[in-house]
Amino acid sequence: MHYGEPQVGIGIAFLVLALVIASVFVIVASHTTADVPFERVQRVGYWLRKRWLAFLVLLLVLVVGLSLFRLPYATGGGRRTVVEVVGGQFFWIIRPSALPVDTPIRFDVTSKDVNHGFGVYDPAGHLVGSVQAMPGYHNKLDLTFHTRGTYRVLCFEFCGLSHHLMQGSFTVR
Amino acid sequence: MEASAVVHPRFAELDHAEPRLTERMVAWAFAGSGVAIFAVMGLVGLTMRMAQGDVIDLSPTWFYRLMTLHGAGMLTGALLAMMGALWFVVRSSVPLSLERMLASLVLILVGAVGVIVATVVGGFGTGWTFLSPLPYFPAGQWHTWATATFLAGLLAVGAGFFLFCLDVLMKVTAIYGGLGRSLGIPFLLDREDTAPPPQVIAATVVAIEGSLASAVGTTVVVAMIGKTIDAGVGLDALWAKNLIYFFGHSVANLIIYLAAGAIYVLVPRYAGRPWKTTKPIVVGWLFTLLFVTFAYSHHLYMDFVQPTSLQIVSTFASFGASIPVAVVTIYTGMMLVWGSRYRWTLASTLLYLGFAGWLIGGTGAVLDSIIPFNFRFHNTLWVVAHFHTYLMLCVIFWALAFVAHLLEEAAGRTAPRGPSTFALVAMGLGGYGLVAMWYVSGMLGVPRRYAVQPTGTSGYSMAGAIFVMVFAIGFLVLVWQFLRLALAARERGTYELVERRSSWTGVRYLARERREPDVAPEEPLPEVPEPAGRALATPFQLGTMVAVAVVCLFAFLPPVSRAAEQSTRYHHLLHGGEFLLGAALGLIVASLPGVHSQLGWRAADVGLAAVILAPALLMLAMEPAVYEPLNDRPILHFLYHDAIAILGVAVGIGAGSLGRITGRIAFVLALGMMLMYAAGAGGG
Repeated sequence: MHYGEPQVGIGIAFLVLALVIASVFVIVASHTTADVPFERVQRVGYWLRKRWLAFLVLLLVLVVGLSLFRLPYATGGGRRTVVEVVGGQFFWIIRPSALPVDTPIRFDVTSKDVNHGFGVYDPAGHLVGSVQAMPGYHNKLDLTFHTRGTYRVLCFEFCGLSHHLMQGSFTVR
Repeated sequence: MEASAVVHPRFAELDHAEPRLTERMVAWAFAGSGVAIFAVMGLVGLTMRMAQGDVIDLSPTWFYRLMTLHGAGMLTGALLAMMGALWFVVRSSVPLSLERMLASLVLILVGAVGVIVATVVGGFGTGWTFLSPLPYFPAGQWHTWATATFLAGLLAVGAGFFLFCLDVLMKVTAIYGGLGRSLGIPFLLDREDTAPPPQVIAATVVAIEGSLASAVGTTVVVAMIGKTIDAGVGLDALWAKNLIYFFGHSVANLIIYLAAGAIYVLVPRYAGRPWKTTKPIVVGWLFTLLFVTFAYSHHLYMDFVQPTSLQIVSTFASFGASIPVAVVTIYTGMMLVWGSRYRWTLASTLLYLGFAGWLIGGTGAVLDSIIPFNFRFHNTLWVVAHFHTYLMLCVIFWALAFVAHLLEEAAGRTAPRGPSTFALVAMGLGGYGLVAMWYVSGMLGVPRRYAVQPTGTSGYSMAGAIFVMVFAIGFLVLVWQFLRLALAARERGTYELVERRSSWTGVRYLARERREPDVAPEEPLPEVPEPAGRALATPFQLGTMVAVAVVCLFAFLPPVSRAAEQSTRYHHLLHGGEFLLGAALGLIVASLPGVHSQLGWRAADVGLAAVILAPALLMLAMEPAVYEPLNDRPILHFLYHDAIAILGVAVGIGAGSLGRITGRIAFVLALGMMLMYAAGAGGG
């Protein structure tokens, strides 16, 4: 396994935010021993809070709004190679198991028994993403692979005793 | 006053109520049970981490049993501790029922025993999420009785929490005059000058959301118990997943909001500043109520068949839920302590550290709530990282802070600085080190819930196990400090220092003498009216319910019964119609002025049992295995349908005894449970 590119970016962003939060807590703690009139704290605090709220609401709209353009949910038809994926305790059936490179693929994922998760790793070991395999339902995942090689599949939903052994693979060429 | 050693000097000037002995005893029972469960489950967690790190040899069979126990047990322990904390701070202004609180405790502890027996003895190992249909595909690991015991245990825990929520709702709305007032809405709209204290608003929101979550949880758990009785019952996997995550996510979320209610009362004791209800607090809690209801669907982001609209709403709700926390609760907490000459004790330090855990863990959760990010992090160890950040480093810290607070108050002093600092540093270092290993593993794409880690990643688990040990050392030192405080409290309660003068030398000295037992009666509870109002208060409301009952009579007509035989779901809806008929009649009767005036708090006790138990019994009775053998016996078949209506009558009268607000909520929830069941359970 290797660190995925978006994951590293998100992880670094989180680390920075966590350090900022920790710093704020250290700064606030260092100011708790002083004796500041509460009215003054409130005056400054309320002024700042309005801006803090506006910032967070703006962030929500921006981040969530932008994320809606990158939803992984399969939409529309188009010419796609359809791959049938069936999960079962504790195996994967992937048909066909050899897929063309640079071609839109639609994975039609389901389960024959319990809930499983279809987690795909590229040949270098980066997690590409996952989708649930649910009995009675077909989740459709669209992906296009630009790298040739063997892609590994691990189970991403706890499914029983040999959950950790449930592996599969397909090749892209 | 001796207690001033552990509270801020200005605290005495603030408007506050001192807890009574009863509140302290209940707080001890809940916090003690909660922390004890936490300690045991922590050891279970350490065992799992050591197995994943290849430090010890643990079979996958036992790993998954322990994983299930750890998840369900930790949530139960944290729930207990925080229910006790909120009850402790709210009861000074709202006379919550002692008997019902004790009944909740018994139910939750019985449920915990059920979970332990099912996992350790019965081998049940589906994870706490028990996603259907995994419990029925045991791969030779557990028997049907273990599944039924685990589910019955969860049902008991849910019933205990349901009872707590309904009691809070009933008393809060009776004292403050309605649901809107309990939430501070007239104050927000400038129609009234005063509002309930923030802990009451928090309690009201928790009670509403908790009732909803409990009803949803009861539905899915009873349906799944039904499938252990009749394997032919078909449960829709997506339906079950929605209900399980609504229940599980909401309860886990509400634990932290229970805690927030307690924080409103505890922080002012150390900051010497009041935490008053303001309009931002009211708005924040109203949004929290909205957001918590819709956030659960982020657990189903990778179930692409879930309606996309629901996923988008969930994204806004999940991100949005962080805003009241960041802008109101934590922000106000920081304002309260800034420049306050904050009294740093063991309890107040744990409180402060808990705020940081909430915000840092919440940030990790918000990032994961963005759908494209979740595509890369769903069910990886990143998820384990963020929920441990706010459960372990906030909720558990606050549960320990609550225990420390009780001990410091009783002992009149805090623990020595040296060992306390050591304990907190070790717990902080160990806790953050542990979650850091999970965050990094999440970035690496390591899936969660693996007994054996993927090749090359067990080192992170080993490091995580070492950090847990560091945390455990800190925890043990903390417990040692607790014991010292407990001994000091005992000494303080038993003996006192009295100034005496030697008759020989005339020298004054302090003598340690046995204290006179304090036999002063407790402060009386605030006056509370009987369950406020009738569920159907006006002729129009009564008339509407009569019309509903008349329509439901059609369920008994032979053509309707025959038509309902076409599918199990139609048949369940027919049962629902019969149930609604009974419930409507019961509610009408209980709302008649002559009847309602005879119903007091004792009737409400029976009513609570009815609205919690009867819907569960109804759903069990709706198992095809129960009614299909009766199809060839007309009299028994007829009596069966009558019994369903009678269960409805019990719910109707029960709801009618709970007052206008709680009665209506309980009535709607009971019907909702029946409808949810009908929608998801088929086959037979």
